[in-house]
Amino acid sequence: MEIVTKVGEVIEANTKEFVAQCYQLHEPPPLGSLVKTKDAPGKIYGIVYHAETHSLEPGRHPIARGEEAKEEEEIFRNNPQLAKLLCTDFRALVVGYGEGNKFHHYLPPKPARIHNFVYLCTLDEVRNFTRSLDFLSLLMEANLAVSMDEIVAASLRYFSQAYDDQQAFLVKAGKELALLLSGELKRLNSILRRLK
Amino acid sequence: MTNRDLVNEERLGVVVSGSLTKGVEVRLDSSTSVEDMVVGRYVTIEGEKRRFFGMITDVTLEATDPKVAVTPPDISDPLIAEVIAGTTTYGKLHVSPYLTISSDAVSILEGPQPVKTVPAHFSMVKLASQRDVELVFGSEDEKQFYIGTPLDMETKVCLNVSEFAKRSNGVFGKSGTGKTFLTRLLLIGILQKQAAVSLVFDMHNEYGWEGRDERGHKVKGLKQLFPSRIAIFSLDEESSRRRKVNTDFVVKIGYDEIEPEDIGLLRQTLNLTEASTQAIYQLAREFGQRRWLGSLLSMEDGEATKELISKLNIHESTYRNLRRGLEKLRRFPFLVEQAPDNSVQRILDYLERGINVILEFGGYEDYAAYILVANMLSRRIHAQYQEKMEKAMGDDTARPRPLVITIEEAHRFLNPELSEQTIFGTIAREMRKYNVTLLVIDQRPSGIDDEIMSQIGTKITCLLDNERDVDSVLAGVTGRSELKSVLSKLETRQQALIFGHAVPMPVVIKTREYGSVASYKEFASPASSERRQKSEKDDLWAE
Amino acid sequence: MSLNLAQIAIQIDSMVAKLQAGEEERQQRLAFALNTLRSQSTDLTSLKRKIETGKTTWLVAGIEDKLDAHYPAPPCPDDFVVLATDGSHIDVDRHRPARCFVINIGTVRLDYGQMPAAFLSSLPLLHFEEEDVVLSSTTGSQQEMIEGPLLGVKRSVEECRLLAELAKGVEAKLPIAALLDGSLVLWGLAGQVYPAFVVNALLENGLLKHLDELRQLSKTRQLALASYISFPRSTEVVNVLRLALCPYEPVDCDRYCASKSKERDCDNVAGLLDRELFERVLTEGERSALFSSHSSIVKEHYQGHQVHFFYIKMAEELTRIEVPQWVAEDKRLLDITHAIILDQCRRGQGYPVALSEAHEKAVITAADRDQFWQLVERSLARQNKLLKSSAKAKSKRTRWV
Repeated sequence: MEIVTKVGEVIEANTKEFVAQCYQLHEPPPLGSLVKTKDAPGKIYGIVYHAETHSLEPGRHPIARGEEAKEEEEIFRNNPQLAKLLCTDFRALVVGYGEGNKFHHYLPPKPARIHNFVYLCTLDEVRNFTRSLDFLSLLMEANLAVSMDEIVAASLRYFSQAYDDQQAFLVKAGKELALLLSGELKRLNSILRRLK
Repeated sequence: MTNRDLVNEERLGVVVSGSLTKGVEVRLDSSTSVEDMVVGRYVTIEGEKRRFFGMITDVTLEATDPKVAVTPPDISDPLIAEVIAGTTTYGKLHVSPYLTISSDAVSILEGPQPVKTVPAHFSMVKLASQRDVELVFGSEDEKQFYIGTPLDMETKVCLNVSEFAKRSNGVFGKSGTGKTFLTRLLLIGILQKQAAVSLVFDMHNEYGWEGRDERGHKVKGLKQLFPSRIAIFSLDEESSRRRKVNTDFVVKIGYDEIEPEDIGLLRQTLNLTEASTQAIYQLAREFGQRRWLGSLLSMEDGEATKELISKLNIHESTYRNLRRGLEKLRRFPFLVEQAPDNSVQRILDYLERGINVILEFGGYEDYAAYILVANMLSRRIHAQYQEKMEKAMGDDTARPRPLVITIEEAHRFLNPELSEQTIFGTIAREMRKYNVTLLVIDQRPSGIDDEIMSQIGTKITCLLDNERDVDSVLAGVTGRSELKSVLSKLETRQQALIFGHAVPMPVVIKTREYGSVASYKEFASPASSERRQKSEKDDLWAE
Repeated sequence: MSLNLAQIAIQIDSMVAKLQAGEEERQQRLAFALNTLRSQSTDLTSLKRKIETGKTTWLVAGIEDKLDAHYPAPPCPDDFVVLATDGSHIDVDRHRPARCFVINIGTVRLDYGQMPAAFLSSLPLLHFEEEDVVLSSTTGSQQEMIEGPLLGVKRSVEECRLLAELAKGVEAKLPIAALLDGSLVLWGLAGQVYPAFVVNALLENGLLKHLDELRQLSKTRQLALASYISFPRSTEVVNVLRLALCPYEPVDCDRYCASKSKERDCDNVAGLLDRELFERVLTEGERSALFSSHSSIVKEHYQGHQVHFFYIKMAEELTRIEVPQWVAEDKRLLDITHAIILDQCRRGQGYPVALSEAHEKAVITAADRDQFWQLVERSLARQNKLLKSSAKAKSKRTRWV
């Protein structure tokens, strides 16, 4: 039985994506990982495409404090209020939703709810969700601030770890990408190179 | 994909475009390697309502992105290589569908039908299974003779021998490609299935007792395999004896047996002018059909001769030319003034009894002897057959056994200039009117008259590399351009393309083995038919 | 644009010029004052007496120690706790339909050492009950609305209250420095502006009660209370010098220097600020001698918590620290205050971290204020109360051409 890891709480949500604040500073779920949040009766699934650590108060910026310090942990020890003034957020692109064992690889009817907990999906869930590669077309079409090629590559690298035969999964996904990107050979190449 | 995989019914791809006349294009699946696709292999197409049976006639490389050709991706990276194969880059097959086959009872009863439409878009294409090939090509029985296997398969391809023997046929291929082996197989097939009786003009002494393969090893001839069914006639007793061949008859031809028409073909070989050939007819009128040659050869240079030729309006130079040419004939020891026996009748006797005759030419391997003897004997035999057939049709008596005459170097007999003059042209055009057909063996089919070629029912072609030869063999055949590419890709040995009446659709085969102990056993045993033949022969002898 | 900056700019230039002109003269006076400071340090007793007996119009500090005494920074403990509170408020707005005000106090606790921790929060309180928004005399005959400067005083009292609450919550037996921003002296109540019941409510029953709590706590642990005044403009010590320079004894300004035209000896140091003086006297990290506040309000009301003060020279500036007498009299507590404040300023780029965080927590922006009033009005509207908001407010709220 895998432990379910709570990684954050939704602070912003819309049909396409949701933003969650992490409980642990500097500990967002990895880029490209699959996360889920509750949406009664099922769950909404998202792929982490961006993470940010910043000051909680707009207008207050972190400043360098460690000139005298020998190591970074000293800075936080010497200024215990820092941990309370900074927060780490991450953004997840919605790629599907599911009820029980059934997955839909298209946008859910309603967005996530504010203050819903966000969990990192277990390896089993990752495998079940990625049995169909339809999420790739949602990823490719998304218009986000980050380079989609990076996110696609990061998520495929991450998902491949859920499979015994990582290479087989990557090849299968790569072929799907080749079809989605027919005519964009350079882009296909650049994503494939990042899959190592 | 290993060979084993190919034998399984693996899916290759789907039909994406095409037409009835030009064949269909098949897009290969990612998992199918282009390099495993071989031109000449059979595939089945699972259409919406019926199954199609066709042959791969071309393999092409395609890409979804033209840039691939300009900046090829780095396939040293195994991931990129695997991903791109079958997606950005993919293979395409060109398939010519020939037949529709089905597994329902009605279709099995009717057998494969010629194709009249195309499969629907995206129909699945699979490699043909053994069962499918068997369905199409049938299996060995009293009419079907196992002649070889399709490419990369173990299924037996069978020739419908009775269809085969109904028409004249041809075996083509450049030298060294295995025509002789194929011919042996065909003769055995005709023999085993008793479709006809054969008369073989064996120019190089390969069919009778024994021959040699390209490595120089001895292979058994037909007489060794079917001793009671074959008679070896020899034109050159010495040579036969030297080769330790038991001959059943030594052929001698008397001058009185040569008719003017027989010389006509030898015009070029004997360097006779047109006028000379004309002069022969005049001489024949003068001396009689049976005596002209003897008389001519014994004419001396004298006044009498001069008088004679002027009387016949034969020019002096023509006479000289004629004499010189015909002197060459004297060289042939088998040509005698008076033949001790009637070779033609002897041959006919054997043939009537159902025994196949192979006439060895021994040392007389030059064309002149071959053309003269083959043509002359065939003319006589054909005349007899004509008589017998007409008589049989008239008073409803038994017809003579169907006869297949095998001649080699066919273009020398059947080229456009000569085809009118040889009996073989006549036989070919007659199309078994008198129960006689030809089996022509040739390496220069472009030399054969087009009209004759069009009469040939089944063609068995080994590798031909001359474009004109290829064109002449494929002339008038549907799907010519596709078959052309198949033909040009045949291996130099042991592979042949068969198309025509005796096969339901063109087939590329690996020739059945001939030369090993096992193969001899196989020929010898369809034990039932041997027994049947034996009993027949006993009956004959009993008469 | 509404302010004509172009016209102002010219006037700013004149001001700067004037300031520069006066600078040199100022320097001379400062030198003189320093001299006086040093020389006066020798005879404390007579100076003390002069201070006790003097009647001046300006505030003079009480002295205990040599005027120019300076004490280096004591070692800072390894493990200690800093508490701080700061507040802001939304004042009563007469143009609004409800009489209420909000006091928002930011509270900060920072633990340093082996187990570093931080607790930052803010506590907003809406005051709307009669007894919260109005001060009444015991008989009830007199009433004073809590608004404007009085609300500021109330807020200071609340800051001290929550600081005491914070202090009660610290379990570990570590040295604690509890900091407030601004002066311990509730200047808003000085000068007889308000009736006695108001002063009583806010001082005796307000600030001083909480100071008592803190003092009580400090009996069982090292708890020091101090308030931090940045960039102080006080002149109490300079005024000691003025007194010292005065030729009269007892000093009596009204009697001797009533006419304004007369030149006075003490004018030589007049106009200087304490911080200018101690800027020269102290080196970085040092604190000055302890002084006590002789303001009337302290003398009359701050029993047991007489306000003392001293100056610390920081890297960036000179600050004034005020402590109640129970801290001033305890050397350990005084040292803790000195050391921890220095440490806090070091960590906080020149201002104590705890206080700046408390301030951040307390801040109410203009947008916050507007949203608060909107919320109030909407809630009232839902209750179907007639909203009578003044037209003036409306016109101030929306800018129109």
